[in-house]
Amino acid sequence: MSKVYINGTGCISPQNTIDKQWFFESLAPAQEDYFNAIEPSYKEFIAPNLLRRMGRAIKMGVAAGNIALQEANVTQVDAIITGTGLGCFEDSERFLLALVNNDEQFLTPTSFIQSTHNTVGAQIGLIMKCHAYNYTYVHRGFSFESAMIDALMLFKEGKQKILIGGIEEHTPTYVQLIRKANKLQAPPHPIWASTSKGIQLSEGSTFFVLENQRTNSTLACLLDVQTLYKPKTSTDVLEKLHLFLKSHRLDISQIDVCVMGFSGDVDFDKILQELLPTIKQSSSVVAFKNACGEYHTASAFALYTASKIIKHQIIPDTLAIENKKPTEIKYTLIINQYLGINYSFTLLSNC
Amino acid sequence: MISAIGNNVQECFQSLAQSKTGIGKINHLSTRHKDDFVAGEVKLSNEQLAQLVGDANPALNRNSYLAMLAAKEAVVHSGIKPNDGKRTGVISSTTVAGMGKTELYYKNLLEDAEHLYVLDTHDCGDSTERIADYLGNVDYVTTISTACSSAANAIMLGSRMIKHGLLDRAIVGGVDALSKFTFNGFNTLMILDKEWCKPFDENRKGLNLGEGAAFLVIEGEQALKERGGKALAEVVGYSNTNDAHHQTASSPDGYGATLAIQQALEMSGLTPAEIDYINMHGTGTPNNDASESMATKTVFGNNVPKFSSTKAFTGHTLAAAASIEAVISVLSIQNDMIFPNLNFSTPITDTQLVPETELVKTPVNTVLSNSFGFGGNCSSLIFKKVKA
Repeated sequence: MSKVYINGTGCISPQNTIDKQWFFESLAPAQEDYFNAIEPSYKEFIAPNLLRRMGRAIKMGVAAGNIALQEANVTQVDAIITGTGLGCFEDSERFLLALVNNDEQFLTPTSFIQSTHNTVGAQIGLIMKCHAYNYTYVHRGFSFESAMIDALMLFKEGKQKILIGGIEEHTPTYVQLIRKANKLQAPPHPIWASTSKGIQLSEGSTFFVLENQRTNSTLACLLDVQTLYKPKTSTDVLEKLHLFLKSHRLDISQIDVCVMGFSGDVDFDKILQELLPTIKQSSSVVAFKNACGEYHTASAFALYTASKIIKHQIIPDTLAIENKKPTEIKYTLIINQYLGINYSFTLLSNC
Repeated sequence: MISAIGNNVQECFQSLAQSKTGIGKINHLSTRHKDDFVAGEVKLSNEQLAQLVGDANPALNRNSYLAMLAAKEAVVHSGIKPNDGKRTGVISSTTVAGMGKTELYYKNLLEDAEHLYVLDTHDCGDSTERIADYLGNVDYVTTISTACSSAANAIMLGSRMIKHGLLDRAIVGGVDALSKFTFNGFNTLMILDKEWCKPFDENRKGLNLGEGAAFLVIEGEQALKERGGKALAEVVGYSNTNDAHHQTASSPDGYGATLAIQQALEMSGLTPAEIDYINMHGTGTPNNDASESMATKTVFGNNVPKFSSTKAFTGHTLAAAASIEAVISVLSIQNDMIFPNLNFSTPITDTQLVPETELVKTPVNTVLSNSFGFGGNCSSLIFKKVKA
């Protein structure tokens, strides 16, 4: 197979990622124990008649998808694949509360229609008049990884241009509830050495145009993705990592930058904390959830971070755990974890 | 498979062969509309399901029970050994996920510490991970949600991952339990028939919701050969396309459906004339059945194969529909039977397509199964008899 090139990104996150020039210069802090995404002025990306009806996740998804397509200068694709843990949660919550509060009466369908998990992918397909493959993955911390794995298979099956993205939104009530369940805390400093429990719940939408050829806008190449479900120990993860890298004739010492999914929760981060000393022996290491917070598809923000690092050939100080100032950033590896259950490896290179 | 027509494949087969619908009065779902509508409920209470699963964990919900039972049945039936070192995937699908329980507690959850666990069981991944943990030794898990075509896409993904050498076998399917959320959602769309649905009938009024789960074990040829297993049928064609017409309605000409059927046929290497039976999506809504009929006419012209929708047996089970119908397709191939399209009397004026209305015993070597969903999602699968 020819390589898979990342040729466009669109990112709506708690950081100023809407600004194409922004490169992790300074990070916006969390709102105490959670993050809100900084949303763009949607008028630039979505027709007003559509915008009026769309829920926030749909707006964030359609806009980020549009930004990625524009950056890659692509107008039609061979597949649209999205990942989302909770889907259009705001609409689900709205329909649910209307139903409960009115004892199943006087309901209107709009929020029910939009609550369907594949709404973002469907809306993008509808706007683009794209009749091609359209999938939505909804598996927790594997939602975006599953989308990437699918995309890599589709390229092997001969597809040429694919739009993939991860979308998550939260609501004020949901944040309150997660806090009530003792799952949140203010970010520990540094995030990779937490000794206490709690994440910073967050949201965002990150899209990518993948193509089978290099263009002027190419950022990096996506080589491979693997998921690990409930690994028991750091030894398990390390063993799987060796095999994963070996299949690309690589070992850990050849990884220039490792992007690690420390969430700030001591239990969930346990395995990553144990892996860190080994990895930073030979590789530079960065965090990313201190920038984007934690959500099911934070790995899409990790892919954005890794691609930008490869493109700029700079390790941002705001993310750096270990900076070896490599002369060339060639191989970048993302190791993510979600709730200490869903682990993944994503391998990228410069092109 | 567990559905309104039986708690396992054998029971479901008996109901199909005896033209016995599972759609009737609502007993388990607590809704103010329970006396106004019929639905295809699984005939077991949550307590009975918990007992069958053998797990009293209160965090388990109806969706998980159904998924675990159906997946376990598929694995036991297949004869695969969980510990044989083969790479196994669980690829499931759902639309409602844990909503059936979330809707009971969400409103007062801030003051209700006891039920805060619904935050962890609300999402679509929950039932899939429950299956994976119930079965053990699973290397890959993922969940798809593309509305009413979801399980078809799970079957397709499993097949592709095996072809790509990423897995040796996959347990694929879907689940959806009835909830007030989906029930009221479909009711606001005004596409529910209060009486038995009448797929492909000129006077059809809408769909009946159902619930259930079905899973299939898909194995690569190599893995199957190594253990000396015998396949029930072969997945020879599949395709996923998008109608890109409307968020909830299918296009009048069924463009997306036409593409899906054509591409699946092309992949299978079969000609339209070689399809013995079509298990239609056939929900019974005016829009779906008209659109699907048009697509069928476009692909098959005047030689439309024998067809039926089995949703008048099971109700529309949403994310589970395509896997329930995949099992029905396999049963059709195994038993050389075409199961009837119940409640049909008058063909749709424009297309004049007439489904099979009685059980037909005839050689069935190939089955096309269609599934379409909100968001324009169109999926077609083709199953073929394995040569002896």
